[in-house]
Amino acid sequence: MLAFSIRRLISAVLVLFSISVLVFLIFFATPGVDPAARIAGRSATPQIVAQVRHEFGLDRPLPVRYVLMMEHLFIKHDLTSYENPGEAVIPQVLLAAPVTLSLVLGAAVIWVVVGVMGGVIAAANRGRFIDPLIMFFGIAAVSVPAYWLGEVVNLITQSKLHSSVFSWVPASGYVSPVSNPFEWALHLLFPWLTLAALYAGIYARVLRAELVNALNEDYVRTARAKGLSERRILMRHALRCSLISIVSLFGLDFGALIGGAALLTEVVFGLPGVGYLTYVSLQSLDLPVIMACVMYGAFFVVLANAVVDILYAFLDPRVRLAK
Amino acid sequence: MSGEVLLRATDVVKSFSSRGTKVGTRSVSVAVNGVSLEVKRGETLGIVGESGCGKSTLARCLVQLTPVTSGTVEFKGVTLTGLSRRRLRPHRREMQLVFQDPYASLNPRRTVGDIVADPMRIHKVAGENEIVKRVENLFVTVGLDPSYLRRYPHEFSGGQRQRIGIARALALNPSLVVADEPVSALDVSVQAQVLNLMADLQDELDLTYLFIAHDLGVVRHVSDRVGVMYLGEIVELGDAETLYERPLHPYTEALLSVVPELNDTDAPKRERILISGDVPDPSDRPTGCSFHPRCPIATERCTVEKPALVEIGPGRSVACHYPRNTA
Amino acid sequence: MPSDPTPLSDAVLRVSDLRVSFSTRQGIVQAVDGLSLDVGRKEVVGIVGESGSGKSVAMYSMLGLVRDANVTITGSVLFEGREILGLSDREMQPVRGGEIGMIFQDPMTALTPVYTVGWQIVEQLRAHTDMTKRQARTRAVELLAEVGIPDPKSRVDRYPHEFSGGMRQRVVIAMALSCNPRLLIADEPTTALDVTTQAQILDLMEKLQGTYGSSIVIITHDMGVIAEMADRVVVMYAGRPAEIGPELDVVRHPRHPYTWGLLGAVPRVDAKSRRLTTIPGTSISPLDVPVGCAFAPRCEHRMDVCSQRPLMRGDGSHQDACWLSDEQRVAIRTKATAQEASS
Repeated sequence: MLAFSIRRLISAVLVLFSISVLVFLIFFATPGVDPAARIAGRSATPQIVAQVRHEFGLDRPLPVRYVLMMEHLFIKHDLTSYENPGEAVIPQVLLAAPVTLSLVLGAAVIWVVVGVMGGVIAAANRGRFIDPLIMFFGIAAVSVPAYWLGEVVNLITQSKLHSSVFSWVPASGYVSPVSNPFEWALHLLFPWLTLAALYAGIYARVLRAELVNALNEDYVRTARAKGLSERRILMRHALRCSLISIVSLFGLDFGALIGGAALLTEVVFGLPGVGYLTYVSLQSLDLPVIMACVMYGAFFVVLANAVVDILYAFLDPRVRLAK
Repeated sequence: MSGEVLLRATDVVKSFSSRGTKVGTRSVSVAVNGVSLEVKRGETLGIVGESGCGKSTLARCLVQLTPVTSGTVEFKGVTLTGLSRRRLRPHRREMQLVFQDPYASLNPRRTVGDIVADPMRIHKVAGENEIVKRVENLFVTVGLDPSYLRRYPHEFSGGQRQRIGIARALALNPSLVVADEPVSALDVSVQAQVLNLMADLQDELDLTYLFIAHDLGVVRHVSDRVGVMYLGEIVELGDAETLYERPLHPYTEALLSVVPELNDTDAPKRERILISGDVPDPSDRPTGCSFHPRCPIATERCTVEKPALVEIGPGRSVACHYPRNTA
Repeated sequence: MPSDPTPLSDAVLRVSDLRVSFSTRQGIVQAVDGLSLDVGRKEVVGIVGESGSGKSVAMYSMLGLVRDANVTITGSVLFEGREILGLSDREMQPVRGGEIGMIFQDPMTALTPVYTVGWQIVEQLRAHTDMTKRQARTRAVELLAEVGIPDPKSRVDRYPHEFSGGMRQRVVIAMALSCNPRLLIADEPTTALDVTTQAQILDLMEKLQGTYGSSIVIITHDMGVIAEMADRVVVMYAGRPAEIGPELDVVRHPRHPYTWGLLGAVPRVDAKSRRLTTIPGTSISPLDVPVGCAFAPRCEHRMDVCSQRPLMRGDGSHQDACWLSDEQRVAIRTKATAQEASS
């Protein structure tokens, strides 16, 4: 187990390194993108641009710039933004992190509960009306783009029905849980539901498929022959075996979302999380911020992958021994 | 049946290595542990053994589907092991394989006519028209209606698919057919049909068979000589009748004694020798004789000294320090 | 071995005219078509047939283990005098595992992979008795020892994948017997195992039958296993019983042409067969079962009357479904034996 974990860790570090190089090359080595010109502004003369280029070290060779950036980001922790010169990047990211965390955690609770319940009910009643009904809602939720759903929700809660049904819905934005937990939750309610919808749909469908498969397995036949109730068979045997893949899926989704993949939801609902920060920095091509956000996100995805691998071994005893 | 040796295997070893459970170690699993045998022209040599004994791996090594780890395989005097793929090609026509699973061994996306024709096309045996004629003939030979050429495998039953597999194996007029559990997946009545077919074909086409199976009754029925495998080694080899009547190796003896048999005559049944335990892991082989942990007559000597396969009578060999029924 | 049909009071299981059909898109599939059999106390009944004979479906449908919504099951199945066909799931649950134990074919997939074997045995014990967890666990260890698992005290906490195939089958047997069932149904219990392991398992089953006094129904395609284990045997073809009788009688004096074919097709270990008897043709598709005798299309001795379905008839406990008269059968068999001897 130890050897396995060490190997996973090493490969995780290698992946992060590759990502950093790739991102750096995309943003800094793409022909036609001249960060110096952007920073200097539109009306800058060529001399000023050259001066800016020198000041920011943009005239140094690529590998040197890469090393310098990594040094600022990881060792000195003083990477500064291009867009707002002098403003440190890392604190910006760290400020945005709790917002994303709040959004994702709340949504995760909702989508896991709804998704698992939906999948179990559909599988237990397969063939009856409620089964395709749940599956329909599931695929509808999956098909609707998050930003569209978010905007529609906003449209309904903030303007159309704001004065009547949804008058209690606050304006978009984020309130820290430390200052006012109730407002915090209220502000996040619709973002939670919007983000959760997509994932609940996927999870319900995946779980139902896994459960129906499991219910056709030999060990379920044995359980029936043992005289166990259908409910026990579903919950204790079929579900326990199906949850393994759901848990892995969840780990990966959660990791990606924490890292900023809930970008669209954050933007639509005006939540200043990591996704929102990434979006803003992409628009202005503020490369250090982009780099920091990407590395932040990549880190969590890689971490989530590693955790899921290890968790898998914990949940499925057959995998344990193979280590 | 002439005494000419068609296939000769000398000390064939096949091992697989994989990452061990401890860091930095590798575990080596020896599937075939030094097998030497000869297959004479026109005979049927049966190889019988339980699951995990390495018989399928041995078959693949002999036909050069898997490279051997060490040892040599000669076919009609030519050494095949170590030949490059290109040099090996012409020899492949002479040795063909029939597989166990009639549902997995036929490409579901090709028509059965194509499946049988492909070997001929690959070796450019004849023009397309001639090939089609040959395919039709092969179908008739194996007892299938030649009008079925354009159908797909899933339209046929297990027994019919196995016939198609045999037709494919015969397409290149091989001298040697290696059949790896060809009837294990079939019902008893279908099994009988296929076995009869294979016997007929052997007479008609002067074929030599290497017949691998775990069913002792089937092996006895088809074989002239039989080799018994245990944990990657041949523990006994000899004439089929004598081996079954008077087995030499304790493993063979125990095996034959516990096969459930029809009690349709009052002939005395063999005394049952129950072997305890399970087959050991090929990556953790016992010292000395591989069978000693489960052998009812093992002694101290058996744990240290590995018995070689020695000939103790005309055409009878056994790898045991204390062979049975030698009288 | 009784020579008269088992009196009702002694029959652990009495099946009468069991019919199981599935309605599919291509038509009605009659998987079981009129099976009647009795299983007496402590008796071992073997059901033998090839694939498509309906032997497994018959047993599964009796216990309500066929979960297909398109299935129709008719007939009567009396277990210890009680009708169990048509009972709801809830009513069947105490019977399954509590009074009728089942063993299945593939031990590698028969146990739930995420729970220890001890947990799974305890689950069954607690579903049917009021044992406490501790009592059930002790009993589980005892059961593992009885079925020959070495070091049961520690093995009880191991997962199924840590056992070999033969060992897993022993665990399944232990589980099936845990609540002292009156009847044990074994569906191809040794088909997936090696010969040496098979011998161990069959031996174990015989031994346990003596200890527990349960009756056994063993389903298999292997006549050798039948010869080893069964007191009586039912030969099935196309969902119908072709022949029923005491095992020794059926094997030594088979009456039905299908049985002749089946017995002749088995390559023997104790003697070299000249040439195996083959049954011409292939098994019929269950959608195409002919009116009349199901075996007629493949039977060499078919007559005009075979277009009517033959009734089960014969003397005493040995019966078969064939229109051939006794004289005709004797003539056919003598000719066959003579041919075999001369070839």
